[in-house]
Amino acid sequence: MNQTLIKLSELGPEMAMLVGACLCLVVGLHRSAEIRKLAPSLVAMALIVAGLLTALEVVDASGVWTMATFVKMMVCGIGMLLVMFMSTVPDAVSPTGKFNPSRVMRGEFFAFFLFSLTGVMLCGGANDLVWLFLALELTSLPTYVMIVISRDTDEASESGIKYFFLGAVAAAVFLYGFTMIYGATGMTNFDEIRQAIAVTGVTPLLTLGLVLSIVGIGFKIAAFPMHFYAADVYQGAMTPVTAFLAFVPKTAGFVSLIALLSLVTQGNIVIDPVTQQLTSPLPPMIASLLWVMAALTMTLGNVLGLMQTNVKRILAYSSISHSGYMLVGLLGMSAGIGSTAIGNGAAAVLFYLVAYALGNLAAFAVLSCLQRNGEEATELDALSGLAKRHPGLAAIMLLSCLSLVGLPPMVGFIGKVYLFGSAVQQGFAGLVIVAVVNSAISAVYYLRIVSSCYFGEKSERSQIVLSSPYVIPLASIAVGVAILLGMGFGGNSLAVTANQATTDSTLFEQVDVQLIEQLLRTPAIADPAIH
Amino acid sequence: MFEPIHSLALTHYLITGAILFVLGLIGFVTRRNLIIMFLCTEMMFQGVSISLVAFSRYHLNMTGQTFVIFVLTIAAAEAALALGLVVLLFRRKHTLDSEAWSSMSG
Repeated sequence: MNQTLIKLSELGPEMAMLVGACLCLVVGLHRSAEIRKLAPSLVAMALIVAGLLTALEVVDASGVWTMATFVKMMVCGIGMLLVMFMSTVPDAVSPTGKFNPSRVMRGEFFAFFLFSLTGVMLCGGANDLVWLFLALELTSLPTYVMIVISRDTDEASESGIKYFFLGAVAAAVFLYGFTMIYGATGMTNFDEIRQAIAVTGVTPLLTLGLVLSIVGIGFKIAAFPMHFYAADVYQGAMTPVTAFLAFVPKTAGFVSLIALLSLVTQGNIVIDPVTQQLTSPLPPMIASLLWVMAALTMTLGNVLGLMQTNVKRILAYSSISHSGYMLVGLLGMSAGIGSTAIGNGAAAVLFYLVAYALGNLAAFAVLSCLQRNGEEATELDALSGLAKRHPGLAAIMLLSCLSLVGLPPMVGFIGKVYLFGSAVQQGFAGLVIVAVVNSAISAVYYLRIVSSCYFGEKSERSQIVLSSPYVIPLASIAVGVAILLGMGFGGNSLAVTANQATTDSTLFEQVDVQLIEQLLRTPAIADPAIH
Repeated sequence: MFEPIHSLALTHYLITGAILFVLGLIGFVTRRNLIIMFLCTEMMFQGVSISLVAFSRYHLNMTGQTFVIFVLTIAAAEAALALGLVVLLFRRKHTLDSEAWSSMSG
């Protein structure tokens, strides 16, 4: 009873979002178009209220960030940028006066937007397998609808149905994984699972469960065995929805992976035979799975990205490869024992999610300003000569591409330093070399986009449609923030926050303290029989 | 030598669940009809549900069975969504063949 009340009191931001979503549904049914157009403002208000409530939660916890509050704040911030982007761009698409569902169905569209973001927030605070499953489904079910109703084209329907079917299979796979974790431990509550693992060690059934969960959630983050849909889905959806897809399911996926992996790292505490320090590594089998997934994901993403001519497909493959980099960070997570921000892989992943979202959002914002014959122009040559036609847009594209490549002044660079640094500390130097080589490969296709903007012949293949006064400020804000963060101070404090969010929350308190003491008393042996 | 099968063990239920899951997966990969593909994903969910109930009985707690209720709810939501999408797609191309929806690739 008390636990339920405590838990409910932490869900203020989510409730605000749900109320906002329901209001959007009602407003979307109004017969006057003026009132229907209020839906985006309602979304923005819901996000602001949710952000304030999150801030209050942090103040209540005397300024200590947890993973839940960090994710909520991140979702509110990036969601705000996304809604500015979405609310204005749909008017520009299909100006032919044709029936345009994205205008008629605005209420539903924005309600689904809020539902999906609520799902991500819930993933951040999940402390139960049932909860995590429901949160992941709440994140993904609305996205299927958003893709299909965003555009009235065959491509949108095609990408919607592909995404839906593969999503359903992936959901079944990770649900099977959750079932096995439950089977191995007899619990669904994370704290109880941790205690059970501290007693029984990592059993084969638990490992199998984790493997299935990782592979299934790999769909959400577009990682190796489940990556192939990304390009088709990103191409078919309308550009603002694509930007949404590149951020939201990926965030939900990585946050859930951090939560799941911390079950084993925090339950599985051993003494490092070399340094005599207390560490809690990933089980070897899980570590090698993540190693292979990370290497294949980034390599496939980058190599296939080289062959594309459609900018949306290039960005789709780039998003696959970024998932690969973030998987490297997951390998570096050691439950953050006594570590700084650079040694904490989970914090690095959270930080990189922000960095990646900003760069990606700006690139998609520029892309959505380009049209050809009333449809989106997404081929590479549509960008050519953009610098001569509109220097501002070209500059934004340049900065966002540089940030995605990971060049020093940008936030993308800082993010990669944290990711790769934490992996090196955990002894995955080989994988980091693969990742660095991959970053170099990725520079080729990002620079192709940039060179098309700056050195391409001025073509009339596409026209620039600045449908709204918001798109430009939005994109510049995103890039401005990206540079600012990259400059050091901002990036550093964000990383410190992320570090705090992933260490202070649950570490060790739930783990059997006696077991740790026992381990500490028998140092050099590091008896494997205990596990 | 032979153990009597008068008491069903956990393994039997788990194997049943696994068979349902794998059959669903195979069906999803091989079938081309959108509705049958969807039914296959539902079968995967049911396989998982059987395993959950079996584990729940094995551990003598109700958590697993509670989980199944939630899984069924999600499966129902997915069914509603799937049928809506299939109707939408059928109106566009008048076929349920998934091959008709493969214009994008590369």
